[in-house]
Amino acid sequence: MFGLELRDLTKAYGEHLAADHVSLSIPHGEFVCFLGPSGCGKTTVLRMIAGLETPTSGAILLNGKAITEQPANSRQFGMVFQSLALFPHLNVGENIAFALRLRGVDPRRRKERVAELLELVRLPGLQTRAISQLSGGQRQRVAIARALAQEPPVFLLDEPFSALDAKLREEMQNELRALQQRLKITTILVTHDQREAMTMADTIVVMGEGQIQQHGPPVSIYKHPANRFVADFIGASNLLPVKILDGQTVTYGTTPLRVGATCGLGGAPATLAIRPEDVVITRAAGGGCNEVAGVISQVRDMGAYVEFRVACEGLDILGVAAPRDWIGAGLGERAHVRLPVERCQVLAT
Amino acid sequence: MTAADIGLTAPTGDLQAKPRWILAGLLTGPALYILIMAIVPAFLMVQLSLAHREVGGLWSPGFELTQYRQLATPLFARIMGFSLLLALTGAAICVSLAFPAAYFITRMRRRAQVAWLVFLLGSLSLSEVLIVFAFQVLLSTSGTLAGALTAVGLLAPGGSLYPNFPAVLTCLVYLLLPYVILFFYPALSQLDPEVEQAAATMGASRVSTFARVVLPMMRRQILTGVLLVVIFTFGAYLTPLVLGRPPQWTIAIHINNAAMGAGNLPLAAAYAVAVVAFMVALLVVTRLLSRRREAEA
Repeated sequence: MFGLELRDLTKAYGEHLAADHVSLSIPHGEFVCFLGPSGCGKTTVLRMIAGLETPTSGAILLNGKAITEQPANSRQFGMVFQSLALFPHLNVGENIAFALRLRGVDPRRRKERVAELLELVRLPGLQTRAISQLSGGQRQRVAIARALAQEPPVFLLDEPFSALDAKLREEMQNELRALQQRLKITTILVTHDQREAMTMADTIVVMGEGQIQQHGPPVSIYKHPANRFVADFIGASNLLPVKILDGQTVTYGTTPLRVGATCGLGGAPATLAIRPEDVVITRAAGGGCNEVAGVISQVRDMGAYVEFRVACEGLDILGVAAPRDWIGAGLGERAHVRLPVERCQVLAT
Repeated sequence: MTAADIGLTAPTGDLQAKPRWILAGLLTGPALYILIMAIVPAFLMVQLSLAHREVGGLWSPGFELTQYRQLATPLFARIMGFSLLLALTGAAICVSLAFPAAYFITRMRRRAQVAWLVFLLGSLSLSEVLIVFAFQVLLSTSGTLAGALTAVGLLAPGGSLYPNFPAVLTCLVYLLLPYVILFFYPALSQLDPEVEQAAATMGASRVSTFARVVLPMMRRQILTGVLLVVIFTFGAYLTPLVLGRPPQWTIAIHINNAAMGAGNLPLAAAYAVAVVAFMVALLVVTRLLSRRREAEA
């Protein structure tokens, strides 16, 4: 198949498995984000793809051809490092032309290519500028241009925006996404910032404990988390401990709740996941199903929305409401929360 | 009503004044030490070089350039030339060996690095006298190395590997190598590994990365390392005296000979002043070249 394929990729450091049988197919031209907390193995996988780490077992294929044994300098995947790793002894143009010079590209063509790339990253005319004279955002762009200079088959980025302030980070995220869509280059970005992953990726790969927990389009992962880890890591979730009653019912404390589908046998413990924005709050009982009575334990008016917590059956259920839908209740007042059946998802504990 | 009206004054001035006094107090000791131990002797040395030489190793205060005229002789030029040749050759060999050695040590596991550092520091604890005489034994006719070379036919029977220029150079390199490795170690261990990895992802081999990235990035440290060896080697005394012939004697030996052998203290002082002036000039030129290079970059 065309694209990048990881087959059972494993990396062990002694007893510790940094990557545990990671298998994934990335079609050509797709933007993939490896997302997960620190130490989940996402950077290890990226480094194995780049050829900077040797897998303990498994295989990496590019367009159907095994490249597992190829060293990094043969793969020549463009990579932007967390530290950017620009060469301080070379100016902007020389940094960008580094790979071209190694390949013996003639000086005139090199010069043209550097100019093209600087145009692409919106830094025209900065060829002779020293790296030390660049701002954070400019360095970021130079690192991207340098990685793209050799027209790599795969473009890798290891948390490249982590050192930037929020505004610049967002600007760079938009620019990178636009650039990737223009060039249609297979891109893999490693990040622990779920917002970054949600806004940039075609596919998110959620990693935890060295394994792929779930992969798919951002919205699909957000709406249908595969397990408790994903539900907890991606966005905010109410994770309620429940017991499975039958194929479509669970009990939360003493309250039976209807759900789309359950997993596991009757009586088995499970987790009911529901996003805060799906929780509906009312003052009086509506008489419908999936209503739990409780006491308001927290209200935070954020202007654009109201965030509330209702203590029900010993646990706080978190919800958000649009200002016009807010019931105007205060702390300690009784309220009812409704958990819409179609929004409740039962996950294995 | 202002802050001053109610007795609130900014404490900034007081706070700034205090550290200045503390700093001045802390610097007084080192400043006095440098003044007494370096500047005063340097001044005395210049004064002595201009003094009038008396018979019997004595001198009287004066202001004459008699001794400095002796510096404008082919003999002095030859001595300085040889000292410089020895220093530059020693520096080139030392840095060429020490830089890759330090680089490979920094790329080892932590434990191996510590072992190497302990070994290098341990080797520095050996006395220079001990090392030089050990080299004398090793290179002499009855020495292990000479014996082995004679056995394989590379050295004529009864031949010796000293006194000569290679013997002096080898011993000096041996003496200075640990210092230079230890000098490069901190800078190389702080080199971001991602810089080398970035070069690899762009198609650079390890050799190419070392030559095109690591070496140029460490240019300033390499230059300082060269200067360090040049300064040490220029003033070498014992090694050329024991392992060299008179043509391989450095300026330090000639200064000693002028002072202790010929009893000409003003000439010895003039030699010393010339060496210091030469070293200062070398440092200034190096600094200027280095700045120019940085400005071009």
